[in-house]
Amino acid sequence: MLRYILKRVFIFIPTMLAISLITFFISVNAPGDPLDQILNKNAVGDGQAEDKLSSEKTYREARHTYGFDLPLFYFTLSNAAYPDTLYKIPDEVHRNTLERLSWKYGDWKEVSAWYRQIRLMEFTLLHISRTPANSSSLNDAQNAVYQLYNQFDDSKIRFFLSTLSVIKQDDCKIRGEAERSVVSLEGAYHSMLLHADPEKKYIPSIHWYGTSNQYHRWFSRFICGDFGISYQDQRPVSSSILDALPWTAGISLLSVLLAYLISIPVGVRAAVNKGKLSEKIGTTTLFVLYSLPNFWIATMLVIFLCGGDWLHVFPGPGAAPIPDDASWIYKIVHIAYRLILPLICWTYGSLAFISRQMRGGMLSIVRQDYIRTARAKGLDEHTVIWKHAFRNSLLPVITLFSEVFPLAVSGSVVLEHIFNIPGMGQLSYEALFSKNYPVIFSVLLITAFLTLSGNLVADIGYAIVDPRISFSKKKK
Amino acid sequence: MRKLPLTPHEVLFPGLVETSPPPPAYSYWKTVARQFRKNRLAVWSLRFIIILILVALLADFLANEKPILCKYEGKIYSPVFREYAVDLGLSQWPRELLNAEWNKLRYDWVIRPVIPYLPQNLDLLNEHGVSPLSHQVVKSIRWRHWLGTDELGRDVFAGMLHGTRIALSVGIVSMSLALLIGLLLGSLAGFFGDEGLQISRARLVLNLLLIFPAFFYSFGTRGYALHDALANSFSSFLLQLLFSCSLFGVFLAFGNGFVFVFKRIPYLRKKVKIPVDLLISRFIEIMVSIPTLFLIISVSAIVTKPSLFIVMGIIGLTGWTGIARFVRAELLRIRNLEYIEAARALGFREFRILVRHALPNALSPVLIALAFGLASAILTESLLSFLGIGVPAETITWGSMLSMARQTPTAWWLALFPGFAIFLTVTTYNLVGEGLTDALDPRGKK
Repeated sequence: MLRYILKRVFIFIPTMLAISLITFFISVNAPGDPLDQILNKNAVGDGQAEDKLSSEKTYREARHTYGFDLPLFYFTLSNAAYPDTLYKIPDEVHRNTLERLSWKYGDWKEVSAWYRQIRLMEFTLLHISRTPANSSSLNDAQNAVYQLYNQFDDSKIRFFLSTLSVIKQDDCKIRGEAERSVVSLEGAYHSMLLHADPEKKYIPSIHWYGTSNQYHRWFSRFICGDFGISYQDQRPVSSSILDALPWTAGISLLSVLLAYLISIPVGVRAAVNKGKLSEKIGTTTLFVLYSLPNFWIATMLVIFLCGGDWLHVFPGPGAAPIPDDASWIYKIVHIAYRLILPLICWTYGSLAFISRQMRGGMLSIVRQDYIRTARAKGLDEHTVIWKHAFRNSLLPVITLFSEVFPLAVSGSVVLEHIFNIPGMGQLSYEALFSKNYPVIFSVLLITAFLTLSGNLVADIGYAIVDPRISFSKKKK
Repeated sequence: MRKLPLTPHEVLFPGLVETSPPPPAYSYWKTVARQFRKNRLAVWSLRFIIILILVALLADFLANEKPILCKYEGKIYSPVFREYAVDLGLSQWPRELLNAEWNKLRYDWVIRPVIPYLPQNLDLLNEHGVSPLSHQVVKSIRWRHWLGTDELGRDVFAGMLHGTRIALSVGIVSMSLALLIGLLLGSLAGFFGDEGLQISRARLVLNLLLIFPAFFYSFGTRGYALHDALANSFSSFLLQLLFSCSLFGVFLAFGNGFVFVFKRIPYLRKKVKIPVDLLISRFIEIMVSIPTLFLIISVSAIVTKPSLFIVMGIIGLTGWTGIARFVRAELLRIRNLEYIEAARALGFREFRILVRHALPNALSPVLIALAFGLASAILTESLLSFLGIGVPAETITWGSMLSMARQTPTAWWLALFPGFAIFLTVTTYNLVGEGLTDALDPRGKK
């Protein structure tokens, strides 16, 4: 028994690790730069050299505090053309371009020299004082430089270089200082082409970074309960989740409890009265309930019962918030009143599901010989059903918990959205549209954790109640 | 089939010999079909699904702004057919019809579809959600919006008909993907179990060593080719992906040719058991414990361009576990049967036994998983488009129409009809699944 439990717990760990890896790599590939959101960075390009330098400095500092300047994972599997320090480049676009350039030309030294020249060129242009006469050509030159940062295609690089060399030839007001930079920029480009070693990308290379990497940092902090900082309001994600969790957990638990309380007697009744008209109607109703999409029912309830053109029995999702200074009785009554519709929508699906399972289990039990024996002994029907049959049919229904519980948790996204309940689902829904990744991925990981734990508890409980399960595994 | 030599009796009296009729063929599938037909609800559901498929196929002929057949300026056109030809590059629109407003043309005579609107047509006279029951500003009853319009004046009925196409294709594509993965993993796990797959240490070591370079050369160095193809178009991406995958396979196959070199060493010649079942079962467990909806939300958060293909892909990639479990359970039973042993005794290779002999008998429960899987895929798609996640905003689906009802709470028809369509489709697939479960249940055969 203990061995079975230990085995199950042991399997739990790699599963959790796998999920954390999936989550992490989805979050790493998320588009957009998280720091832009944190720093509210405006478009770069304008302003003077000092402004740019100082903004780059704050950016680099923020990158350091949030740990984005660390390598992604414990090791990288890449090719010999890639430098192993690429993760240190702060700007994402620059990083991607550099990666691609080194993939293409295979010589990191030349590629970084080329990039340094672009940067030098940019600063040279920033240092040139603007006059009405040179303004437009200066703008052209600056645009060309910004474009060069993102180009890896030969023809495009040539095009923008030729735009820049206009400075050299033309009789414009910005020659002189800029001219030298353009020449060395072109020199760097040609040297990169000259030293190109495109075969280098076919040599695989493995680089080991050790534990100071983003995944290690993120996951070790996650285990300790530090889920990171929300990009949007700079609050710790854990506090937003703690605000939201009581709603979701409360409603889910309440609905699971309700579902069990109602469905068990319903299921037993349906099995006992098999063949009667009332049972047929009941079973059909249960099936229909089971396949009604809850978001449709929720929408219909809101439209037909919460204002609109029809009845106005319940407060709609847009109802005014309950005032904070109201008495607690007032608060409880009003919250309960508002929760009636959500609870119905949350519950009816699992209610129908459990009832159907209960009915099925009970039907197969009632056919058994020992039930006939019990009847033959002269026990009354009530004792036969509730004392002999019911107990044995309860077992599989209890283990349904592992299926019902995650349903209740993940069902929250759409129902919380419809009823405007500030729970976990609403939190992740809003985070999705504001690209607030730490929240999304924390919720994903927590939900996966809850699901796994639910399965684990159900499995262990099942094994305790029914010893055949662990034995049968051992025999095999 | 070799014919037996005739007996003298048969030669003498050819007409008199009674050739007994063949025994009634109660093949497995016939029994299943008979059992299935007893369940009237399931049969009606199947008929309804056939109707749905027809609607999906013929949506362009049922709801379209273009006439099916018309005579315009002395020439007879069939604009709906013509559109298919134009889309395929076989034909071109005549200049006067290139940017025609089909509903305003003066035809000599015209046969229109039942619903003379496309789902994206804006009827400016019936904006802001006109109820199917109230007065509508239309030319005649032919132009009436039978199920009302939405906020922008788009016909709900047309949206419903064309939405069928999206719902069914999401279900079919994603479940085909799920079927592929589920069959592969489920049959590996079930047929080989934890002890069935034995390979020499040499091969194991060689393959473990080979996987990295194979992956490196087929996917790693081709990363940008794949990346650019994805940015270009989905089909070119598939082509590149196929190329990468075949490169991977060729690399592995080529490497495995050298296994005899390693087999010279006695230590490496020894066989080891690979716990396929354990590995795949763990993998299934991981997949099941990831909340699909949250996963789809996370993935669509990082996809910059929402597309139905991505939704289909994710549903397929997460929805195979049911199929894999069914196949695994069936094969665990089948592999211990005597006929498999007989096949082994005849010296067939394991792979052939699996594909030719074991798998065909494990397919029937897959049908059940497939029916329920289709229902849940359609439900997931409509849920996603209801939330506005992953599905492009301009695509009109049942779910997106239902979500419009939330913005205009008075428009009950926007909630009722698309939601009912979702409900009906999901329920019929579930009913077919239930019917199949009963029909395939050996206890039911009395």
